[in-house]
Amino acid sequence: MKFLVNPNKFNKVSNYLFKPVLVLSIILFSLGLLFSFYLSPDDYQQGSTVRIMYIHVPSAWLALLTYAIMTIYSIAALAFRIPFGFIINTAVAPIGAVFTLVCIISGSLWGKPMWGTWWVWDARLTSVAILFIVYLIVIFINLSFENRVIKEKVVAIFILVGSVNLPIVKFSVDWWNTLHQTATISKLSKPSIDPSMMTPLIIMTFAFMMIGIAIAILRIKTEIISRKLNLS
Amino acid sequence: MKFLNKIIFFFYREYKLNLSGVQDILTNIIFFFVSIFIFIFSIGPDTDTISLIGVGILWTLLLLSSTLSLRKFYQEDFENGNLLIMHLNGFSYGLIAILKTISHFIFVQIPFLITIPIASILLNITNDKAFYLFASFSIGSLILSCLGSISSSMNLMNQRNFLLGSVIVMIFSVPVVIFSVGLINLEEDFNSLINILFGILLIIFVINPWASGFCLKLSLENN
Repeated sequence: MKFLVNPNKFNKVSNYLFKPVLVLSIILFSLGLLFSFYLSPDDYQQGSTVRIMYIHVPSAWLALLTYAIMTIYSIAALAFRIPFGFIINTAVAPIGAVFTLVCIISGSLWGKPMWGTWWVWDARLTSVAILFIVYLIVIFINLSFENRVIKEKVVAIFILVGSVNLPIVKFSVDWWNTLHQTATISKLSKPSIDPSMMTPLIIMTFAFMMIGIAIAILRIKTEIISRKLNLS
Repeated sequence: MKFLNKIIFFFYREYKLNLSGVQDILTNIIFFFVSIFIFIFSIGPDTDTISLIGVGILWTLLLLSSTLSLRKFYQEDFENGNLLIMHLNGFSYGLIAILKTISHFIFVQIPFLITIPIASILLNITNDKAFYLFASFSIGSLILSCLGSISSSMNLMNQRNFLLGSVIVMIFSVPVVIFSVGLINLEEDFNSLINILFGILLIIFVINPWASGFCLKLSLENN
């Protein structure tokens, strides 16, 4: 597992990994879209709009997962002096921002027919919007510093301070009474969702994960190359 | 004793600096009042509406105008080398952050605290609510000072985009605003909400010297 902390090893491993991941993501996407549009049933209340879930939920999970990865790498980079963490932080932030944006837009498209409004100020929606702004600030800090050594450490500190928001996003539906429903899958007891809807959801989650990994590999490699060019 | 003298001299110096630049603080307060006027002109002079939303407006404007003075939190001392001299005199970076935060609270936020009663007269806020507003802002302003210390020490070497510091303060002050305005509108539940505010204050007061001390060290070493 050394390729997770060492840029040279990462370059080597990602050369083998990139094409299989890309092919897998294409296969999973076509399979998942097939499942979610034709092979899964309509909801008894929501009708056909329930299919928005197969975009909405995976992107929300991956937005949180990306921020968690950035937090772990910031701790590693600051505490154990692993500079690869800074590369990950710079490369992965836009991907997380895009996932959060997809989650917000698909959620509001789902909210209009179901709740009657595009946007409500309840706890889950607000905390996800804050998560999106935190991602944007990370990107802006990356763009607006000139000295790279300071920039990457400031970004890491900001990510650590901003990670306060992660448990708030996760538990906001339990702590406050919200219009957004509570967790159906990622909880301790058995998931309260039918297997016929669970299958496309899981497939779409893996498809999103694969496409995220593919883009992340490209961005991390570019980042490594640009750092090498700056140093020499 | 010698160390205590140094701290006393630090506050004396801050006092002198703020006294010579008192027009900055007064400009902040004038900004606060002018924005109250503009808010009232844009809503309309209906008394009931204003007293209904007055507390929220006051908190928003206090937050906005206290972020205006973030630029001179560390920047001047950093550019003329005073931070380095303080550090060479035996102040650790974390202690500098704590002292600067306290002096920002005393010299920038206390004037706002004094103007709150006048502003609540202008916005038709009742006496009880004005008291709760005073209590919540006296805790919340210390939280805002800590956040300002973190964000302005992050942005010391950022020459291009200084507005980022205000955005960072505002995004992290969302829970403070939620709990403070909740405290004022839910008067029976005073104790529990003010305990939550105190809890946020303690957490941020512990994080502040660590985070801003690290950023100060980073900027001073790489300058």
